[in-house]
Amino acid sequence: MTFLNAALIAGMAAVAIPVIIHLFHRSKFKIVPWGAMHLLEAVLRKNTKRLKLEQLILLLIRCSIPVALALCMARPVITGLSPLLENKKVSTVLIIDNSYSMEAGGPANSNFQQAREAARQIVDNLVPGSDVAIVQMAGGASSLLEDPTFDLDRVRGELGRMRAGYGAATVPEAFQVARAVQPRLNHLNREVIVLTDFQKVTWSEMGGLPASERSRIAGQMAEGKTPPRLTFFHVGTEITDNVSVEKLEANRQILGVGQQLRVRATLQNHGEGQYQDMRVVFKVDGKERSVSQTSLGPREKGQVLFTHTFDTSGSHVIEVIAEADALIADNSMMASIPVWDRLPVLLVSGDMNPEPLMGETDFIEIALHPFGHGKVEMADLVTTRTIDAREMDAKPLAESRVAVLANVSQLNEMQLKAVENFVREGGGLLIFPGNRINSAWYNTTFLAGGKGLLPLPVVSLSGSTNSGTRATIVSQHYEHPALEMFNDPRNGNLSDADIRLWYKMREETGKPGDSGITVLARLDTGDPFLVEKKYGEGRIIECAVPCDAEWTNLPARPFYLPLMQQLVTYLASKVYPPRNVDVGKPLVAFLPAADAGRKAILTDPEGKARELLIQAKGTRAMAEFSETQKPGLYVLDAPNNNRIHFVVNVDRKESDLSQLSPAEVQGVAKAMGASVVKTFNEYHALDQQRRFGQEIWQGLLAVMIGLVFLEMILEQVFARRKS
Amino acid sequence: MAQLSEFLTPADLHKISNLQVLARLVVEGFCTGLHRSPHKGFSVEFKQHRQYVPGDEIRHLDWRIFGKTDRFYIREYEEETNLRCTLLLDASGSMNYGSPQGRSKFIYAQRLAACLAYLMLGQQDSVGLVTFDSKVRRYIPPRAQTSHLKVLVNELDATTMGNETELADVFHDLVPRLHRRGLIVILSDCFGDVTKLLTALAHMRHARHEIVIFQIWDRTELEFDFRQWTRFDCLEVDGKKYLVDPNHLRAAYLENLEKFRAELKQGCHRHRIDLVPMVTDQPYAEALAQYLTLRMRR
Repeated sequence: MTFLNAALIAGMAAVAIPVIIHLFHRSKFKIVPWGAMHLLEAVLRKNTKRLKLEQLILLLIRCSIPVALALCMARPVITGLSPLLENKKVSTVLIIDNSYSMEAGGPANSNFQQAREAARQIVDNLVPGSDVAIVQMAGGASSLLEDPTFDLDRVRGELGRMRAGYGAATVPEAFQVARAVQPRLNHLNREVIVLTDFQKVTWSEMGGLPASERSRIAGQMAEGKTPPRLTFFHVGTEITDNVSVEKLEANRQILGVGQQLRVRATLQNHGEGQYQDMRVVFKVDGKERSVSQTSLGPREKGQVLFTHTFDTSGSHVIEVIAEADALIADNSMMASIPVWDRLPVLLVSGDMNPEPLMGETDFIEIALHPFGHGKVEMADLVTTRTIDAREMDAKPLAESRVAVLANVSQLNEMQLKAVENFVREGGGLLIFPGNRINSAWYNTTFLAGGKGLLPLPVVSLSGSTNSGTRATIVSQHYEHPALEMFNDPRNGNLSDADIRLWYKMREETGKPGDSGITVLARLDTGDPFLVEKKYGEGRIIECAVPCDAEWTNLPARPFYLPLMQQLVTYLASKVYPPRNVDVGKPLVAFLPAADAGRKAILTDPEGKARELLIQAKGTRAMAEFSETQKPGLYVLDAPNNNRIHFVVNVDRKESDLSQLSPAEVQGVAKAMGASVVKTFNEYHALDQQRRFGQEIWQGLLAVMIGLVFLEMILEQVFARRKS
Repeated sequence: MAQLSEFLTPADLHKISNLQVLARLVVEGFCTGLHRSPHKGFSVEFKQHRQYVPGDEIRHLDWRIFGKTDRFYIREYEEETNLRCTLLLDASGSMNYGSPQGRSKFIYAQRLAACLAYLMLGQQDSVGLVTFDSKVRRYIPPRAQTSHLKVLVNELDATTMGNETELADVFHDLVPRLHRRGLIVILSDCFGDVTKLLTALAHMRHARHEIVIFQIWDRTELEFDFRQWTRFDCLEVDGKKYLVDPNHLRAAYLENLEKFRAELKQGCHRHRIDLVPMVTDQPYAEALAQYLTLRMRR
């Protein structure tokens, strides 16, 4: 037991007041010469004892009243077994929700600002010597300080610099980080405070926090000798009006100079409000290029289409902005679009023939390079170079982004190694069989028991060039990005082609996808037509038929050209690491080998620049940056004016701003063993209670009031008995 | 020497004169006035002549006057009344009590006695006076002369307070000294043993006295309205004192008081004694008038 206002304990001296009053009254008596003494004496004889007892009881009660009042005002605290009385220093872990939904409520008084203010008050409330760690929940949960710090001014500074809008919050990850911080805390008296808006997508059972996760976190928090006290600080109010740009879809994976880019932006109204004639702006490299208007009803989804043609190669950025609500973070979406002036493809022919269209790679060459062949002044993205299989080595491979093996009988050891390196480091490989291939070599060395480059072994030839049996490619909904465009019938129908002869590939039994092999398309016989395999950083696509017209009429079909273009650009696009990534995912840029050892400058969305060391990797160099918590545009300036844009996108699930109801919040808190507060004052009261024990002045006040009533009642009762 | 006006204000006198005292029981004496008497036609002292009116007894005619003047005159005598009233004034210590703002019970009783004496003498009744405390102090036999009032008033004025009283003993002693039966008016607070007192009163009634008790109270005795701690010093026994908080005793005291009064009232009723409680702040003349009205009704 301790007292918050110990000085007021002295008030207990007031116990003397009733006694003094009693003595004072006794000493200041009046003298009355009395006649009716016989009446008075009888009364005195009969009542003296009882009166004395009653007086004693009343005196005791009256003495207790000032004692109770003094105790009440001294604010006693029952500390019980709390060892914390001696040590008021506390180790605090602040888990702050900095997801972009926290920006709701406008820039002046956003939920995040309220959270930051609350955190600042909590820090101000700490006694010197307390240490603090800050964990941010969004953008890949992370600790803001390397170690918990005693420097509260530094903590205040960090809080001041903190910004919201870091993607979506993940509760389990945040608690994981908080748990990792625990061993480095300096006091046994520990506290974990989560400041969040309790957004449904993050906290609900259906959303980011299922019941199993809740109990797991609660279990982890309760571990150890001095488990921290967990407090949920619910900040901000629920705002439902929100429009977000959900996604941007481009019509091409790889874009060349002069080629038209079509961007389809999907907009979603998450609230109940009506948006009439909302302006949607399309920006390219920061400049407004076109404006569209659209209307969105409550909870409605809409699409806006923009087109653009780039006239310079290099890295470009497009952005679609919906001029809607105050939560700006999700009102726009950016994408980094690399525009290439050319895409070098190496065609390795196993059957060179000087006659037109008789060589193994003649058709594909035309398909990849149509304008060049037709001497038309239009942009060909792909440039091809055809070599004999026997001449192939590492050098031409290094100059290409995709290599095509067309009817190559087999590769010698050196060539195989070169191709393996090429693919491992991110090159694309397209394999077409043919009559010249050495299937034994293919199925042993090239396959290497599933560890080699060949995705699936070629078992046997099926069909016949003479007989009338034909196989066709199954027309279906294609999930694979390389074939997605054929979902639109205007781009051609793959089933139009007649396949007379094809290689049967042996698929491994077991779960599809286990081996890392994907079947892109099948023939109507059930045999795979196109299969894909990932190898190192690169990818390989194997086809069941050659790329010439010997076994099929594929090259004569209208879809042959887009199909070949798609396959090559798909493989080429996989050569480069993605430029549009989710928050928390690393940014990787491949640079020319000559840049290795030099510095590249990376500018983050807040304009902060930092130097990155370019490291050699195989035949190339690479720059990597992994602290992508903040969404937005990252610009990498590599040597030789090589500028690369990266866009870090936030998960749009946060755009639905609805929050948990107070009852649901309590439910979460109960499951995780936490207390819930909504204001700093509530937190302060809770903290006082937990740190110093339970204040009992309310109880004492009740006792005192009870005593006052008891005194009144007893006096009445005694008086009534006397009468 | 005290003046009569000290005891009787003109207002008091005016109020009393409008009332008639009617003796309820037959007493000894001559029936010459309004009172009935077994001793008829016995007169002692000539008072005045008045003209005869039809209906007067012829035997009271003064024939000598008739002889001289040839007119009928009636002789009227002093002893027209036959009511012998003895006032018993309690001069014990307890009667000396009086609240600070009022007069003491004794003074009140004194004045009331004077009133009664005046009234009764005015009615041609004879009035005597006994003052007593632990024993009879003074005994003035009843007389009917107007001048007797002065004797009574002087005696009342000269009476001082005595000590402890025991009414019963005094009354027992007194009975043999009151030879002729008559009206006994007791002016006392009647404090003491009720049973003994009632026995003494019964003794008096046995001697065929009509008894009226004016029980004198002070308001504070009836209400016990003391608020602060009080030391009650006994007026009758020296050194007897009690320091108490009256607030806690009030209820019990009032209960005891009621019991005392009820006992006395019942006893008086049983012995056909008129008990008239008087409070010192009541105008005594008015209280007296009330009593006389009561007597007339009976």
